[in-house]
Amino acid sequence: MISSSKKTLGLFTKPSIFEKGIGALLPEAYKNFYKEWKELEPQAVHYVPEEGKWKRNEITGQVTPIQNRPIPLIWPKEHNEQLWGGEGVVQGFQSRGKYKRRIPHFWVPVLRRSVVYSEILDKYISVIVTDRTINLINANYGFDHYLLKTPACDLKSLLALRLKRRILKELLNECPAYVKHSEKYECVLAEYKKYLTKYTAEDIEWYGYTFPEACKKMQVILDKQNEAIPLKHIYRSALIEKMKATSESDDTNNLEVSEKIPWLHKINPFGKKQETS
Amino acid sequence: MWNSLRNIVNCGISLSQPYNNIINQQIRTTYILKRKHQPRLHKKNMKPKSLSHKHYLYELIKDTTVEKSQPLKLILSTNVEGLGSKGDLVEVKPSYGYNNLILLQKAVYATEENIEKYINLEKKLEDKPSSPYVPIRMACMQRMTLSVVMNKELPWTLKPWHIRVSFRKCGWEVPEKAIILPDQPISGPDLNAESKEFFITVQFSPKERQEVRCRLHHWSTHPSDRLPYVKEFWKIPAEPLIPITQKEHNSEIKL
Repeated sequence: MISSSKKTLGLFTKPSIFEKGIGALLPEAYKNFYKEWKELEPQAVHYVPEEGKWKRNEITGQVTPIQNRPIPLIWPKEHNEQLWGGEGVVQGFQSRGKYKRRIPHFWVPVLRRSVVYSEILDKYISVIVTDRTINLINANYGFDHYLLKTPACDLKSLLALRLKRRILKELLNECPAYVKHSEKYECVLAEYKKYLTKYTAEDIEWYGYTFPEACKKMQVILDKQNEAIPLKHIYRSALIEKMKATSESDDTNNLEVSEKIPWLHKINPFGKKQETS
Repeated sequence: MWNSLRNIVNCGISLSQPYNNIINQQIRTTYILKRKHQPRLHKKNMKPKSLSHKHYLYELIKDTTVEKSQPLKLILSTNVEGLGSKGDLVEVKPSYGYNNLILLQKAVYATEENIEKYINLEKKLEDKPSSPYVPIRMACMQRMTLSVVMNKELPWTLKPWHIRVSFRKCGWEVPEKAIILPDQPISGPDLNAESKEFFITVQFSPKERQEVRCRLHHWSTHPSDRLPYVKEFWKIPAEPLIPITQKEHNSEIKL
């Protein structure tokens, strides 16, 4: 038994977001996306990770394991409307001399407004980017390739994830932005079709939502499934059907009905009082 | 004394420090940092140990964007003046390449598929300019009015080297063999021809020729004999020096 499970043995484990409430009803497609977004280790941007499993001290010869602890990053809420290309704000201290006190410092990426062009959507988008984003777009030979190749943990921002979902949906619908069977249409479809093999239609449907957004989407679906029909509608339709049935059978069974006199007609309330004894 | 000297030296260092900082200022960056103190190792499959304040003390290793950027390899999909013609493989600065070529769809990235696609295209094009700079130079020559300054006293006949010198005066290096003079010889000094126009032809290659508007001026070495200076002479309309050539020029334009 591994040591971590020994420690948690017999303890109460808090249910995760996918184990309680509406989160438990979310499809596997969303859970996969969420894992890709939140749990996957993003690429090292602000530090150089050490390679290998072990290292040896040159002088003492002592062997120690290599454990890369990533530098914690901060993402302000504005970054969700921008493309930072995996960068973030580093909060920490600077040492500006041997005899000086450490000084708090924020290493903030330099942002600038630029334009990105999506070939699948055939649209120019004006967004705030970092230099790293543009470099990555160039390295991946285009904005669409960059979005489709990069996992959600590296894209990070909601804008990028939403754009990726839209691009994937557009691909699934075979690029309605272009005139069908034109030269450009065939070129674009041939270039980007390989990315669809990774995703199913359900994956694309549930890609790029935050957890609250996904819950809201699920709630809407559930509400649609369990839509309550008022009883008066059910009874009314049943009655109409019944009446239709009776009107059809009326012509044939008219005589029979006339012979059958209801018992209420036989009673004469103003007649002579019947003796009970 | 030594104390004061030390103070001066210290002052000098402290003065020079901000100066260096200004020079080394990071303009736009992906900061690559390193922890000054490494966090303690944790056991296998266990939660990593918590970080204390000293693990947030960082040292800057590198600024990626201050470094010289690698050139961007592109294939032109249209003719770009001053860079190349359709199908050419060019290497440009990444910022110029992205903003002016990729976004305007004048070029595509040099991927293997694109190279295969455009390699055949390059051979097909025959009417491309001999150099990407030729169209720019031709357009510039079309706009200019060349001032040809000749002697007022000594007799002369206009030769290509006169034109070469006139070009050199306004900063153009044109070889003599490229200059074609009008058929009718121009000779002087002739004050009737003062500030009149004629056209010469500059040949870039057998296919590429450009006519240049020239204006004749007379000049004396003696200051008192000089003609009065006409300010911005190129803005004043002038008569043609050789009427026949003018007609020919007009007919060429119509064609």
